[in-house]
Amino acid sequence: MSTQTAPAGSLLTAHDLRKAYGPTAALDGAHFSIHPGEVVAVMGPSGSGKSTLLHCLAGIVTPDSGTITYNGRELSAMSDGERSALRRSEFGFVFQFGQLVPELSCVENVALPLRLNGTKRKEAERAALHWMERLEVDDLAKKRPGEVSGGQGQRVAVARSLVTGPRVLFADEPTGALDSLNGERVMQLLTEAARSTNAAVVLVTHEARVAAYSDREIVVRDGKSRDMEPAL
Amino acid sequence: MNVWFRDLAMGARFAVTGGREGWVRTVLTAVGVGLGVALLLVTTAVPNAIGARDKREDARTDLRFSVTQMPKADDTVVVAMADTEFRGTSIRGRLMQPEGDKAPLPPGISAYPKPGEMVVSPALARLLGAEDSALLRDRLDARIVGTIGEAGLTGPAELMYIKGVAGLHPTGYPVERIDHFGNAPEPEPLDPILLLLTLIVVIVLLMPVAVFIATAVRFGGERRDRRLAALRLIGADGRMVRRIAAGEAASGALLGLLVGAGVFLVVRQAASKLELMGISVFPQDIDPAPALVAVVAFAVPAAAVAVTLFALRGVVIEPLGVVRTAKPSRRRLWWRLVLPLAGLALLYPMLGQGNENGEFNQYMVTAGVVLILVGVTALIPWLVEAVVTRLGSGPVAWQLAVRRLQLSSGTAARLVNGIAVAVAGAIALQMLFAGIEGDYTKATGEDTERAQMTVNVPASTETSTLTAQLQQALAKTPGVASVTPPLTSAGVGEKPHDANEGASFTSGSCAALREVAKLPSCKDGDVFAVRGASYDDSTDKLAKPGTTLYVDPGYDKVKGAAVPFKVPAGLKDARPRELPTGGDRGGFLVTPSALSEAAGATMSGDLYLKLDPSNPDASDEVRTAAAQFGPLINSHSMVAMERVGRFDSIRTGLFVGATCVLLLIGASLLVSQLEQLRERRKLLSALVAFGTRRRTLSASVLWQTAVPVALGLALATAVGLTLGAVLLKMTAQTVAVDWASVLAMAGVGAGVVLVVTFLSLPPLMRLMRPEGLRTE
Repeated sequence: MSTQTAPAGSLLTAHDLRKAYGPTAALDGAHFSIHPGEVVAVMGPSGSGKSTLLHCLAGIVTPDSGTITYNGRELSAMSDGERSALRRSEFGFVFQFGQLVPELSCVENVALPLRLNGTKRKEAERAALHWMERLEVDDLAKKRPGEVSGGQGQRVAVARSLVTGPRVLFADEPTGALDSLNGERVMQLLTEAARSTNAAVVLVTHEARVAAYSDREIVVRDGKSRDMEPAL
Repeated sequence: MNVWFRDLAMGARFAVTGGREGWVRTVLTAVGVGLGVALLLVTTAVPNAIGARDKREDARTDLRFSVTQMPKADDTVVVAMADTEFRGTSIRGRLMQPEGDKAPLPPGISAYPKPGEMVVSPALARLLGAEDSALLRDRLDARIVGTIGEAGLTGPAELMYIKGVAGLHPTGYPVERIDHFGNAPEPEPLDPILLLLTLIVVIVLLMPVAVFIATAVRFGGERRDRRLAALRLIGADGRMVRRIAAGEAASGALLGLLVGAGVFLVVRQAASKLELMGISVFPQDIDPAPALVAVVAFAVPAAAVAVTLFALRGVVIEPLGVVRTAKPSRRRLWWRLVLPLAGLALLYPMLGQGNENGEFNQYMVTAGVVLILVGVTALIPWLVEAVVTRLGSGPVAWQLAVRRLQLSSGTAARLVNGIAVAVAGAIALQMLFAGIEGDYTKATGEDTERAQMTVNVPASTETSTLTAQLQQALAKTPGVASVTPPLTSAGVGEKPHDANEGASFTSGSCAALREVAKLPSCKDGDVFAVRGASYDDSTDKLAKPGTTLYVDPGYDKVKGAAVPFKVPAGLKDARPRELPTGGDRGGFLVTPSALSEAAGATMSGDLYLKLDPSNPDASDEVRTAAAQFGPLINSHSMVAMERVGRFDSIRTGLFVGATCVLLLIGASLLVSQLEQLRERRKLLSALVAFGTRRRTLSASVLWQTAVPVALGLALATAVGLTLGAVLLKMTAQTVAVDWASVLAMAGVGAGVVLVVTFLSLPPLMRLMRPEGLRTE
């Protein structure tokens, strides 16, 4: 099935995205769509353009051409400030590494997006603790990122990505730096939490094991995307 | 030993390999160390530069300061001082008249200019050639036949001319006969307080440079730690990685030495084109003493290695990464306090010593001040840590900044160390300068309200005619508001030779005499005795009608004209009046009809001028107009206050040095700031990705700098005030704080930090771009 026409009821869609870094084309006519509550895995080999697709969908990077529509609004028509506000309030992010602020304690890290939205500290930390409990890391609240394990840190990052109640969660290789056991647990908690809030999840991975947590998979190769046929 | 060399060499290789990142880090270190080394070399070259200037100055000395004149011979030359000024800049001028074939040549010229010709310094040649120097060309209108060489000049920017003349008569200063140049008087030893001041200036300038070098060798520390961790992974042990780190630091510092030598050579060459506060130097004069160069060459790499090893002391480099204990041990206060207290203890015995009790012990002063200033660098990390651990949460920007400071306050403290030391030193010096300024600034007594210039005509048979003509000419000169009527004066005694009583003998019209005394009434033919003037108890003894006095009496071996003057029966009394040039004048006032022609020929003439303040060239117009009446006519601009020359040059040195040091520290701050930002590139990008406003991150960077800076400056101010008070006590001065200048110093320090933060914002914006998230 081609993704050239966005299915009805899509929350986030992209059409004919092109993006080049210098002479290298990272995206070359990619398409994408996702519904609320849906988990879509974006797969592909290294350098295929999957992270660039995620960055474009999240409004972090502006594509050279093509359109991205979120909830009926054209992303390219928004200013940088509006896109930042969108990311703060409607989107959540989990990256492979380097995302927790090392100086802040874990609970402060989780509360950070709320505080950026203007929520008072105590209230933000209360909400943060709630999500840390759900991600089973509430006992790390006072610890700094440097004092916790990789798997624990990643669960803290997931809690942070969900604390604002995002409608879309972008996860770029969220288990890339974890062993399989920790990776499985993080994916389990992430997808459960997302489904409980009806958040859509854009999951960039190159691991089939991780992609197995998704409802649907698309493959990006040489900057082009296509839906993966479901296994018979 | 082989292992040592292998590890050090490996470290050196890491300094120059490792791709662009490695090069950038090494270049930053080398540039940082290089700038510090260049400043050290320049500073260590200053004594030699001053020495070389003084040597050339001594070699061209042409005044004998002797009351007797040597006889004319074929190896003598008559020299007259004919200095002048153009637009506030002094021009050294000499009129020379060789009296034989063997007349000695002054340094810098190969032949005497003939009458009507002159040789000039290159700088004066350029000035004379400038379009707007017409007034100077009119004044120095002799034909230029040559250039004065370096041997005859104190610096490349010195303005000097030597003019050939005929008909000079050596009458004693400023016209003298000499048979050689270089008859310099013994230099006066430097006043103990000025010596103390010089010492403190040098320490205050060099300390921040040392701190700066220590900071520069730590550039790229975190990245290096990660590289060392990778080496641990493949089998290097803890000692090996430390040796490798030492090799890397030493090679960066050695490269810095080369850069420093290069910068020094460039600065040295460029020095000939620079003139700061009237001082210029020849490149070859900037020649640091070999021993000091050796010290710098050894101390800088050694310090680099020591600082690196010191920095690694709290770091455990493990194969899987760098481990810093999550909660570093609290900094202890006691040993940090020992440093400044030991400094104070060293200075304590010199309290109250002042100017009268011989020289200060230079070693104790140096060690004491160094310890106090080093104490600042030791106390800042403790203070920053102690304060930031108590700071609470606030807005996100504040929270990010405070948490970062709590986690690694040492880095932040290092950033402000240099500034703090410079500010502490500058505040102390400012206090010392302000305290002792009164001792080295004296009122000239000149009344610049009554007159702004005086013109003096040397004694000759034509003095009165010449002075009168000059008065008329100057009255018509552009920029002159008024000229007093001419006054002529000489000395008078009761004997033709070796008089026991001497007084002034002044002549002029009634209007002219009223400028120098309060006259009851006056008409031509009157003679007055001015009684009650300062330092004059002779007039009363001499002012007896009928007594014959002698105008211009001789003294010792100097023969005077000794023209008889009979005190008239109708001698009137007058009261002294303050002169425009300061002081008052007693003696006799004689109106023109009462003055014999012979007495008039012994007297020199004076005119007092008021200038038009709206004409900036007024004083130059006067000098040029006066020069038309003779090269020895002296025009003098009056000033209300003047400072001891050496005091001024020390202050100038501080200003020049402080500017260089602050620029250097600003540059180091910027480099450290950028490096810290680069280290956090990925985190910054991630924060922006989930919607953090850029202004929040910018504000956090500002807070992160502002907090330690504010603490550092507060400490620097406290230490500076303490040191200033101690130094004032040492010089036996009253301790007073000039808060305006304290605030100004702290403000300059804060300003440097603000400028640096402002300059680091564009790179911060660039680093916050999403490209930082890319890993492939």
